[in-house]
Formats: sequence, C-alpha cells, structure tokens
Amino acid sequence: MRVKAKLYPKEAARLLQEKPSVRASVTGATLHFERNRLRAYGEIDAEAWRERARRIKDHVLTHLDHYLELAEKRLRENGVQVHWAEGPEEAHRLLREVVARHGVKRAVKAKSMLTEELGVNPLLESLGVEVYETDLGEYLIQLLGEPPSHIVGPAIHLSLPEIQRLFHDRFGTPLDAAPEALAQVARGVLREAFLTAELGISGANFLVAETGTLAVMENEGNIRLSTSLPRVHVAFVGIEKLLPRFQDLALFLPLTARAATGQRLATFVSLIQGSAQPGEEGPEEVHVVLVDHGRTALLADPEAWEVLRCVRCGACLNACPVYRQTGGHPYGYVYSGPIGAVLDPGLLGLEEAHPLPHASTLCGACQEACPVKIPIPKLLLAWRHRAVEQGLAPTWEKGAMRAFAQVMGSPALYRLFSKALRGLPLPQALQDHLPLLRAWTEGRGPLKPSPRPFHELWREIKEETHGG
Amino acid sequence: MEVRARILARIRKALKERPKALLPEHPHLRLGEEPLDLFLRRLAENGAEGHLLNQEGAVGLLKELAHGLPGVAYGKGVPTSFRLFPELPPEAAPLGVSWALFAVAETCTLALSSEDGRKAQLLPPTHLVLVERERVYSTLLEAFSEQKALPSALGLHSGPSKSADIGQVMVKGVHGPGRLVVAVLT
Ligand code: SF4
Repeated sequence: MRVKAKLYPKEAARLLQEKPSVRASVTGATLHFERNRLRAYGEIDAEAWRERARRIKDHVLTHLDHYLELAEKRLRENGVQVHWAEGPEEAHRLLREVVARHGVKRAVKAKSMLTEELGVNPLLESLGVEVYETDLGEYLIQLLGEPPSHIVGPAIHLSLPEIQRLFHDRFGTPLDAAPEALAQVARGVLREAFLTAELGISGANFLVAETGTLAVMENEGNIRLSTSLPRVHVAFVGIEKLLPRFQDLALFLPLTARAATGQRLATFVSLIQGSAQPGEEGPEEVHVVLVDHGRTALLADPEAWEVLRCVRCGACLNACPVYRQTGGHPYGYVYSGPIGAVLDPGLLGLEEAHPLPHASTLCGACQEACPVKIPIPKLLLAWRHRAVEQGLAPTWEKGAMRAFAQVMGSPALYRLFSKALRGLPLPQALQDHLPLLRAWTEGRGPLKPSPRPFHELWREIKEETHGG
Repeated sequence: MEVRARILARIRKALKERPKALLPEHPHLRLGEEPLDLFLRRLAENGAEGHLLNQEGAVGLLKELAHGLPGVAYGKGVPTSFRLFPELPPEAAPLGVSWALFAVAETCTLALSSEDGRKAQLLPPTHLVLVERERVYSTLLEAFSEQKALPSALGLHSGPSKSADIGQVMVKGVHGPGRLVVAVLT
C-alpha cells in the first residue's frame, strides 16, 4: 500500500473540507461501536479480563522465539506448510508459486490488515488472478478502489446513499434500494466467487502455539467460506499473533469481540488445525506465512514493544475524538487512529510517520478502551519526544509549544495572554499567518473565543455554589 | 531457512535484556444461571431460535422447516432418524441440518466440526443445528478445557450471519445462513 502518513495534517484538513459527510458517517458508526463496547465491558469484570490478557500477551512476547518454534512444529505436524517472511518479497514469492502450481484464476479474500501491508491484492492482480474481497465492507471499498478506513468496519466512512449510488452504477439496482436488497446482490456475486475460486486468503486473529490452531473471527460467514471452499488456503499471520494455550482462546475470543463490537463472541469463529482429512470437505493444502514486516524492530524498542500486544479490535479508534472526525484515510497507512499513531512510526519509521503521534488530544480514552491495556498516551508522547529529538517536528510547533508551556506555567502571563486572545476574532489574514492557529483552523471554522475566560467563570460558579 | 533464522535471531537479541513475564492461569467463572436456560435465552438475544425438544419434537421441528422444500443437506453426524427428506447437495439445498459437537451458554455458541461436513453448515440460507443437552457447557473455558482432539476445522457459530457494513443497517444472511434454528435434544 502507498504510504502517505507524512501528509496527515493536510489530508485530514482536505477530507474535512471536501467530504464533510465522512465525519457524520464515521462519528455515527464509532459512537455506536463505543456504546456497545461499554455495555459489553459492563457485563464482565473487565479490569480482570484485560489485566489477564495483558499478562498473557506480555508472556508470549517475552518468549516469542520459543512460541514461534512451537507453533511451527505443531503446524507442520498438522500438515500445514509453514513459511517465514520478512515482508512483501517472500510473501509474493510464495503466492506466485501457489498461483502457478494450482493454476489459480480466482481468489477469495477474507479481511486482513496484514495482507494490506503486504500488497497481496495488487500482486495477485498482476498475475492475472481475479481477487474478491468477501467481507461486505471490504467488497464495497474494493469496488471504489479505496483503502479501509477502520480496522473492523472498513467502509464506515460511506453513507447509505453513496453505497446505493455505487450499486446503481455497478449492478443497476434502484437508487433507493434497501440495504437488504444491496446485500443480496453482493451475496449473489460473492457466492459465485466462493464456489469457483481455487485460492482462499485470510489473516488470523490468533495462532495457538500449543495446538497450531489458527483462530479467525467474523460476523458474515465469509471467512468460514474462504477457508473452507477453495482447494488452497493461505493464511498470513503477524509473528505477534501467538497465544500459548488453546485455553487462552476462551479469554481472547470473547474479550476481543466485546472490545470490537460489544458482542459476547463474533458470530463465526474458525478454529483451523490444518488441511482437510481424507474424505472431508475443506482445503487440501493449507499454508501459514509468519510475517515480520517491522515487528521484530518494534520488539527491540524498550518502550514501543508494548504495541505488539494489540489484537486489532478497533476499540481505540471508536473511543478517539480525533479519529472520529475523519476516519482512517488521512492517516495514510493500514493502521489509523490511536493504534496507528503508535504502531505506524514503529512499522514505517518516524521519518515517514512522525505527524501521526500528534493526531491526539491525549485524553486517554483509547487506553481505557484497550482490551490489552496498551499505554497509548504514554507511547504517543514517547514518539513525539523522539520526533523532536530527530528534528522531525515542524519548527513552528516547537516554538509554539515552548511559549505555551511558559504561559501555562505562569498565572499572570496566562491571564494576560487570554485577555489578549479574547480581543479575537483575529482578521482572517493574520490567522492564516500564525502556524499554530492555522493548524487549528484548517478544516474548522475560524476561532470564536468565549467572551469571558474560564478562570473567571469558574470563580463565579464556585462563589455561587458556596453562597447558595 | 535463512529468513526464519534471521527473524528468530533478531527476536532473541531484542529479548536479551527484557525481563520475562509469567503466564497467568484462567479462573473458572461460575455463571449464576443454569447453562441450558442461559443458552436458550442468549440464542434469542442473538437473533437465533432455540428449542428444548425430545427426539419426536425435534423431528417435528425438522418437518416444519423442510415443509414444501425440494430437499435438505445433512451433516455426516446427523442420525438416520432425522434423514427423512431427499438429500440435496449443500450448494442447492434451502435447508442445512448439522450435528454439533457441543454448545456454550456463556457465548451462545454451537461448535461444528469439519468431520460433520462444512458446506451444510454454511451454504443453505437456513441452518438447523442439533445438539445433545449433556453437551451444553456453561463457559467457553470449560468447553475448551475438555476437548481432547481437535478436528481440522472447528466452526463456532453464535447466531445468524449478519453485517452492518451497508450504512450501519443490520442485515441478516449476508454469506452464511441468515436463519439459525437450534434444537437441544433431551
Ligand atoms: S491498541 Fe488496543 S484498543 Fe486499539 S486496536 Fe489494538 S487492542 Fe484494540
């Protein structure tokens, strides 16, 4: 995938101006997810579950070599072909080989962020293979030629009218067709693809070392179909996806579902041990590709290694007031929102991704939501700090932040400064020339300061309450 | 082998100074309700239909579902007493009947083995699942802890296929069965 993380502030501003409907769609969908998560967390001892999940992931990560070797051994015993990949190069080589050997003309794909990292679709298409994304949301954005905008709901930035227009143009459905009718059209196209594809491609939510089990979660049934009907199944698995014991799934499957969508469990979970037994339905060949692509570099990082606990539930995106304004596209890489802001600098390098850790108000909502307790705000600050050290922060910002710190540190200066600011609105021309203000006003209206400062209002409220 | 060795070497180097974290045990949870009652209630909450039936009642349910249909796709484990209708390939059958390995109340889940045949579990728009009452576990942990051997694929189904990807409107039956009917056999 083309990386554009460096352009984040500009792209975010452009999106807000050019496609204002995205903000409404994304805000609506994420608030819905967030409400469901809160309800689902409320039903369990969420703190205990999250703490246990954190500890298990930390255990795996601090014994990663051991568990990878164990998983590989078990997978081989189960008849699975295991491959290792630094990144796209080895992944592509394997796919070329599979496509040639099995005469693959058609592939069905289950949603996987890792295959986005590896550019699996463009590679297959270059080999003349027809690739079908089979998750309904992924299928929509594939038709539009767009990247996913959310880890769990890749098409949440699209409104119903936009999808109705898309299907009208593609399949001739009426412009006011109901969602059910549109889903039936997609089902028809994709059912045909499932029944004829030679190759199924998936990611994995978890890989259990003890049993060599691939666990994949979904709600539509497309992953079960993609991993059951074609002759060959290739699963791409990040090396951080390991769990030690089969039992651990009894925690991670429900916890991830609760965090992601507020469900007690995803509607469908595939627990795959290997290729079909003689006389059984299922793929005759199963490949697992263990992929690094920046993960060992993150593991070596004394602070950022904790992001490798991430189970890609998207809860931090749903909780993030900054992500909610734009969805994932402006972040310019596969992973967006709070997790993208702390993961992408590690996977891509700070040079490429340094604006992303600034896409946050540090409100801490992401950390509260995270099922594996990743200290996202702390890591955002760590990346920001490193960016400044490496001279990657915009220079106006360094100056502005220093001035801000001085003002905030001195009550007298603060009052003076806030009085001066309430002389606003500043003339547009002046606002456009002050970089800090411009960064704020891009994509928003001009600043309209409150006529009276907060510290005055606060004093009044206090007096009122004490007096009454 | 070269890539493998490189990756493992980098991992070992990265972990050299890192303190090792211990692996915690999972406590068994007690649910405050009979697993069977909870399971049936949660099926309804998830948009599925659950019934507690004896053999005769379950056959009656199947007859009702198959009424007027050209045939049924059967899982391999479905007892002959239920094979009353012409067998159709799952690609063409409007109804699939499966035999579940077990069920879980906590998550409202049916566990379906690849040994039973995967297509009948996935392709027909309506899916009837039979499960024995003694096979309804209380929690996922309990169920997972008791599995000795695992089939090549274990499918966990906890409701009808659904998606909210089109304008956040919930739609059933997107790829898998849009109707899930469960008969718990006494
Ligand atoms: S960082 Fe936490 S909340 Fe965000 S996607 Fe990863 S696991 Fe989920």
